[in-house]
Amino acid sequence: MSDAAKQITLTIDGVEVSVEAGTTVLQAAEHAGVVVPHYCYHPGIPSRPAQCRMCLVEIEGQPKLQPSCVFPAGDGMVVRTTSETAETARKSVIEFLLLNHPLDCPICDAAGQCMLQDYAFETGQLRSRYAEAKMVLGRDRVAEDILYFGDRCIVCTRCVRFMEDIAGDNALVVAQRGHKAYIDTFPGRDLDHAFRGNIVDVCPVGALVHEDFVFKARAWDMDSSPGICPGCSTGCNIEVNVKENQVVRTKPRLNPDVNSYWMCDHGRRSLVMSNRGVRAEAPMVRQGGELEPASWNEALAWVAGELNGSSGIALVSAGVSNEALFYTRALLERIGVEGGTFQVEQGDEVTLSGFPKLKLRADRAPNAVGAELHRFTRADGLPEVPDGATLVVLGDAISNAPADYGANAGFFLYIGSHLFPAVGNATAVLPAATVAESDGTFVNYEGRVQRFHRALRTPGVARPTWMFLSRLLEHLGGESGVREIDDAFAAMATGTAGLEGMSWAGLGLRGELLSEAGQPAVAAE
Amino acid sequence: MGYPYSHDLEVGTQLSRHFGDERARTLEGWKGLGGYATLPKALEMDPDAITEVVKNSGLRGRGGAGFPTGVKWSFMPKEPNGAHYLCCNADESEPGAFKDREILRWVPHLLIEGCLIAARAIRAEHVYIYVRGEFFPFSAILRDAVVEAYEGGYAGEDILGSGWSCDVTVHLGAGAYIAGEETGLMSSLMGGRAEPWIKPPFPAQSGAFGRPTTVNNVETLAAVPMIVAEGADWYRQWGTDKSPGTKLWCCSGHLERPGTYELPLGVNLRDVIYEVCGGAPNGKKIKAVIPGGSSTAMLTDDELDCSGCYEGMAEAGSALGTASPIVMNEDTSIVSAMRRIAQFYAHESCGQCVQCREGTSWTAKILHRIEVGEGTAEDLDTLYHLCVQMTGRTICPLADSVVFPLVSSLDKFKDEYEALIKR
Amino acid sequence: MGDQVKKPLHPAAASSQPFQVTDLRPTERLFDDPEGRDRLDKALSRYPEKRAALLPMLGYAQERNGWVSDENMAEIAGELDLTPAYVRSVATFYTMYNKHPVGRHLIQVCTCISCHLDEAEEVFQRFLSETGARAGEVSEDGKYTVIEAECLGACGFATAVQINDRYFENVTPEKVPAILDELD
Repeated sequence: MSDAAKQITLTIDGVEVSVEAGTTVLQAAEHAGVVVPHYCYHPGIPSRPAQCRMCLVEIEGQPKLQPSCVFPAGDGMVVRTTSETAETARKSVIEFLLLNHPLDCPICDAAGQCMLQDYAFETGQLRSRYAEAKMVLGRDRVAEDILYFGDRCIVCTRCVRFMEDIAGDNALVVAQRGHKAYIDTFPGRDLDHAFRGNIVDVCPVGALVHEDFVFKARAWDMDSSPGICPGCSTGCNIEVNVKENQVVRTKPRLNPDVNSYWMCDHGRRSLVMSNRGVRAEAPMVRQGGELEPASWNEALAWVAGELNGSSGIALVSAGVSNEALFYTRALLERIGVEGGTFQVEQGDEVTLSGFPKLKLRADRAPNAVGAELHRFTRADGLPEVPDGATLVVLGDAISNAPADYGANAGFFLYIGSHLFPAVGNATAVLPAATVAESDGTFVNYEGRVQRFHRALRTPGVARPTWMFLSRLLEHLGGESGVREIDDAFAAMATGTAGLEGMSWAGLGLRGELLSEAGQPAVAAE
Repeated sequence: MGYPYSHDLEVGTQLSRHFGDERARTLEGWKGLGGYATLPKALEMDPDAITEVVKNSGLRGRGGAGFPTGVKWSFMPKEPNGAHYLCCNADESEPGAFKDREILRWVPHLLIEGCLIAARAIRAEHVYIYVRGEFFPFSAILRDAVVEAYEGGYAGEDILGSGWSCDVTVHLGAGAYIAGEETGLMSSLMGGRAEPWIKPPFPAQSGAFGRPTTVNNVETLAAVPMIVAEGADWYRQWGTDKSPGTKLWCCSGHLERPGTYELPLGVNLRDVIYEVCGGAPNGKKIKAVIPGGSSTAMLTDDELDCSGCYEGMAEAGSALGTASPIVMNEDTSIVSAMRRIAQFYAHESCGQCVQCREGTSWTAKILHRIEVGEGTAEDLDTLYHLCVQMTGRTICPLADSVVFPLVSSLDKFKDEYEALIKR
Repeated sequence: MGDQVKKPLHPAAASSQPFQVTDLRPTERLFDDPEGRDRLDKALSRYPEKRAALLPMLGYAQERNGWVSDENMAEIAGELDLTPAYVRSVATFYTMYNKHPVGRHLIQVCTCISCHLDEAEEVFQRFLSETGARAGEVSEDGKYTVIEAECLGACGFATAVQINDRYFENVTPEKVPAILDELD
């Protein structure tokens, strides 16, 4: 412990706080529960130009106000963030920033979560002293999916520095200088980096916006749930923004062990896309050659009575929760089906150079490790279904299957959310919630078990897979079905190598690595 | 002596003695005038001994800030662990200042010699002379002199057979006042926008190309050879205790004899304006003088009896700056002059710090509005407010630069502002 | 320029060639000929980092073409391992790089404080009226662009005017026609 960081103690707004030497005053203030307003500083971006001058604070012994984002905390230091000088300086920065800023909050996507709006409101400046004509820059496109509203921009350069420091692609820059400065790309070379969308997230105002989100929802009209990106095996922690039961946007959620503040654009689209397709909204059972809707009780009782495992095969998805996989495995064991396979769509890997742990990984599914944990094996292509065999399909395993797939099965149980063409051959359809509509866990590429939370209501009477499969097992003579995710997780953790000792509550929002018993082979990566 | 005029009050040291003498531009001519006599001596000296002489001479930075040059050099690491650099700041752009260009165009070899001696003192392996882009005719003279210095063995490998090598490169800017700020200069030299950076890191720790670097003004470096040759005491025969030596004064505006003069520090400012430069032409009275380049506080005619040195000008409520008095006669509109100054700083703000980016341009717009008769009484309050909020709030002092003349003009010539507002 | 062309360029001088010039040698690409390679190599030899050759090479583009085009910026970016966007960011920071073609004579009238106290506005207006150019635009005959400049560092010689790489000092409105005659 020779390199144990030295602790220093300082006083910030009367609150004494101890921090490691090397901590900045701004970070120390956070420990003291004091938020120092700032624009150019972003905790995930290493370069700190200290140029917005919003975080200036008074430090005893310093003749001038100092930028707290770079000023190192010192032992015995006395810092005042709310002294009159500091407050008037901050108020003045806001006034400066508003000089040429349009009053378009009513149509700005950032309204309600805008740092300029917040601080302007906080400092109470209702009337501008600016009598001159405002500069008008208009809007520009910086990427095929990102617009730049120059008039709203405060030139904090977070976006520029994200591209330079984190993405490693200096394709977004400040053009011109002084009060004419704005953000721009090189003519004809829009941003095409796979992680470019983060520039929208780091923008403290409404200058950078995703075009597919423009005018779609106000910040205060959206509900937000913590989720896990289903776009690849990285398992980026995300925030799912929902309006009127539609996912309108996903944003990265901080997890220093997985994705820091970032996520890729492929992932950003993945949940929004899950709004699409034809959904299974009610249980259906084949009666007289036709799939007929049934109540859950009827359907589960009927399936329990008809289903048997003679020479059965199972296809599962690496895009469904561990809990769904666990109960599917339990069902297969109950009816005597062994094995089971899943496929994972492959894509190009892209690394985020400034945070190399974060990659858009080749496995374009969130839970391949989870599927292996439940003893399903990775396969290429769909297996042939032996005539008259039992076929159990979980999730999107047959999304691309030909329309006659499974038509020769003896009993074809489909458990899933979407009505793919081959589902028409099913003997019974149990309508499942999507990952956005249900609580559950995934295991990412390195064996991190992470929780995602329900963001949407299900259509019709679709339900989380773990919920209705546990009841189906009850019909088959098992324990009584579970209604809560923590019970489902507990049931799974008890019998699954790698999950020993874990609990839903204990996972928290940052997740937990599998024990050695469950570690995936790829974790050495 | 001065250029294009000279005066009896002047001291004609090596710095200005050959202004106007085209012979000094060539290596042969310069050697004939006694040039390059100090470099061999410096090559035999211990680097720290050179620094010591300069420190003892009390030479202060001539770029405006007046930081003691020898002290600045002493910040450089003594045991080089890789390259050190010297940057000669020839980005002379402060409105009112035009002294460095006289050195560049008349005594380029003096500057080169000064650069090499300084490089030796700080153990630099390369001198970059950053000349503002506009100075084509003058940078061309310097450039040719550098090539001659290489050819004559005064620069490059094994200088004068001493075993010590040092390169000299003339590097052109391209139109950015802020490249004259030392960190802005290094940002620009490294191929970037001339954006100043927040210190630390200080240049002597991590400057150009991430290496220990010293940035010195042209006039500072040009004074070095004579100081090293003649000694600290010799240099201290002029000036004051805190501001030793001589200084190039470049005087412009409403003057009978505008131009550059070499005068001892501590010279009475009134003498500079009235005696040396002959006062305002056509018998006009002088309304105001901006004594140290456009970024210093205005003085009225009554306030000109002050000592023309760093501490004396500070006592007078202004600053010596680059010793570049801009003289305004009685017919001058102070508001119009101030608007023009503010317009300059708005144009030259790099745009990083909010107070400077927005404040300089707002200031210029308000002043313009007052100038054309559309000002309001609140505008003066706003201007005073801006003066407070643009002082000491930013990475570099560009925003402060507009405040000094502005606040002094508001204090001293309020009636002119009010007259325009009431109109 | 003419007399010095014979002598090979000294590397120490590679970063200080006048880049606001009258004798244009328009070229689409900068570094495909020996002259361009030579300039690039010599400039690179003066700095520990490639990027430092950026300003000299932007200047070189303007020296040959009279302005710096997007294509030139992209080409320079390629040679110096920079992104074109970065090069544009730097080029637009500095006022002396012409981002659009200018007249054969770029007339920059200093109107900053010391020249303002002289007759700079009148000199500027006179240049406009004599050339028929509108401020900042190329005159119809392609000969002139007249702009206001910030301080040219010749304050004791007001009014100062820079025309391409030359300084004209103590300019009065009356002297403007003779200066224009001399240019042709």
